Amino acid sequence: MEKKEAVLEVKDLSVIYKSDLETVYAVNHISFSIEKGETLGLVGETGAGKTTTALGIMRLLPQRTARFTSGEILLEGVDLKNLSEKEMLKIRGEKVSMIFQDPMTALNPVLTVGDQIGEAIFLHNENNLSKKEIDQKVEEMMEMVGIPKERKNEYPYQFSGGMRQRVVIAMALVCNPEVLIADEPTTALDVTIQAQILSMICDLQRQYQTSVIMITHDLGVVAETCDKVAIMYAGEIVEYGTLAQIFTGEAHHPYTTGLFGSIPSLTQNTRRLHPIEGLMPDPTNLPKGCKFAPRCEKCMEICRQEAPQVSINDGHQIRCHLYMKKEA
Amino acid sequence: MAKYTIKRLLYMIPVLFGVAFLVFTILSLTPGDPGTIILGITAKPEDIAALNAEFGYDQPFLIRFFNYIGDIIFHFDLGTSYQSRQPVIEDIIARFPNTLKLTIFSMSLSAILGISLGILSAVRQYSKLDHICVVTALIFASIPGFWLGLMLLLIFALKLRVLPSYGAGTLRHFILPTLTVSMTSAAGLLRLTRSAMLETVRQEYIRTAKAKGASEKRVIWKHALRNALLPVITTLGTSFGASLGGAIIAETVFAMPGMGTLITTAIRQKDIPVVMGSTLFLATLFSLIILIVDLLYAFIDPRIKAKYQSGGKSRG
Repeated sequence: MEKKEAVLEVKDLSVIYKSDLETVYAVNHISFSIEKGETLGLVGETGAGKTTTALGIMRLLPQRTARFTSGEILLEGVDLKNLSEKEMLKIRGEKVSMIFQDPMTALNPVLTVGDQIGEAIFLHNENNLSKKEIDQKVEEMMEMVGIPKERKNEYPYQFSGGMRQRVVIAMALVCNPEVLIADEPTTALDVTIQAQILSMICDLQRQYQTSVIMITHDLGVVAETCDKVAIMYAGEIVEYGTLAQIFTGEAHHPYTTGLFGSIPSLTQNTRRLHPIEGLMPDPTNLPKGCKFAPRCEKCMEICRQEAPQVSINDGHQIRCHLYMKKEA
Repeated sequence: MAKYTIKRLLYMIPVLFGVAFLVFTILSLTPGDPGTIILGITAKPEDIAALNAEFGYDQPFLIRFFNYIGDIIFHFDLGTSYQSRQPVIEDIIARFPNTLKLTIFSMSLSAILGISLGILSAVRQYSKLDHICVVTALIFASIPGFWLGLMLLLIFALKLRVLPSYGAGTLRHFILPTLTVSMTSAAGLLRLTRSAMLETVRQEYIRTAKAKGASEKRVIWKHALRNALLPVITTLGTSFGASLGGAIIAETVFAMPGMGTLITTAIRQKDIPVVMGSTLFLATLFSLIILIVDLLYAFIDPRIKAKYQSGGKSRG
């Protein structure tokens, strides 16, 4: 990958959740970067640490339990980890905003959708817009995401799931943020609505040149929307590369191979699905060597003893002993 | 909305009829008759029978009941007290202001204390303040009202001699009874507000608001409070009923001339019209309060407003 100016750069980030009884190693030394207008797919099973990464960037992790143990989150060169809560208020919603998974619960039931979209503008009102101008901007934004502006005085319960997600998206994009984090934005929606919402996010992204982190477990969504892909497993990025490298490249992490293998094929006549056997390791007690070793079909002796390093080939990063050997 | 209100007002009729029947039946099942109680057991049986006949007490149960209901409906007459021979309504008008004052004072105090400390406690969860609030609330929720009243009486009226121990003449007379009634319900409201608030701040829309860049203060006041107050308001309505009941205890402890003392004396003297009249009066008041609380809901939750407007059939 050629070096362009990265909007958001996450370097060696680790997050733990610490309670009196146990310590959960949710995110372990992950690094990635996004350039302007680019989409990064963050793919992995439930519990892989995708949402923790996202909330970490937003600095919205639960205060009592979550801790950053290493790394930096650089937004245009500034480490968000070091900002005060007051400084973060200016970042959230304006520079980095987030779309949540479930539109049914993401909107406040007692406020009108217009109010909720308008609040984002009101909170970051640097141009001192009047109430009327804010109202106008809300209407524009609503039309942009495909909601008739007459509905701005309606309440969330009067909207369907897909429409609510449009409201959430309008809310996230109304301040024209540098980075949009979309945390499984279509998981809770019907398939037909999913396509609409995804293409809308892509259109708006092109229009505003927003960088997007697309968190998903759906490889179909990744193929449609992303430029770069990071495959996460047990809090680590096990494979990282361009869409082409991940989808059509030759070398893969065994976990990525497994993920693709578990998609049912439409063209071949197979009677059984091919899931990856076993479960994710317990994040309070991660294996000493490679985290994927217990489930890996190509597991070797060294995998159980030593954690693999990353091998880089034309920007395509794989964290696996299989490829370490080749280099040596 | 108007249609819903009228419907709810009409529902009150069967409720009040039921209350009247129940209380009337219980009174009739208690031993003794008004004639004997007024004239004493040494009086001549003929005199007692004559007095009972004058009150209409010689009639069968159902006829007496329907006569009573008929008087209320057709003559707006709550009857005449057996003891004082005064219209019941005059007794109520004389006593009710004290009870109303006491209830309003204690409701306001418990709402202010309970809700504000509950919010504070939730916002500063696990802080020292939170621990103090929770423990104090637990203590007051467990103390019986009459005991608290007696202790307050002992400390402030007898030992310190700063407040009067009985009567209802000035506002100072209301301080101890108000504390007696409000502490228990304030403790309940604190615990409820705290838990409702804690549950609300864990909702996803609170995270959405934070992700927009709303400050913690704004998240609490604009996003969490209205949602958290819904269950609190319901309880506020029912605790109005509890306050009326608490007022009866406080009135007895502090010898205050109110509805509570009126009813308890009347029950002891088997003064059926007074018991019936004041019970029905309080029941009507209580039903109206509950209705107001339900209507208040609509202003907080748009889903409920829509439900009321559609005639209460659809679910929001």
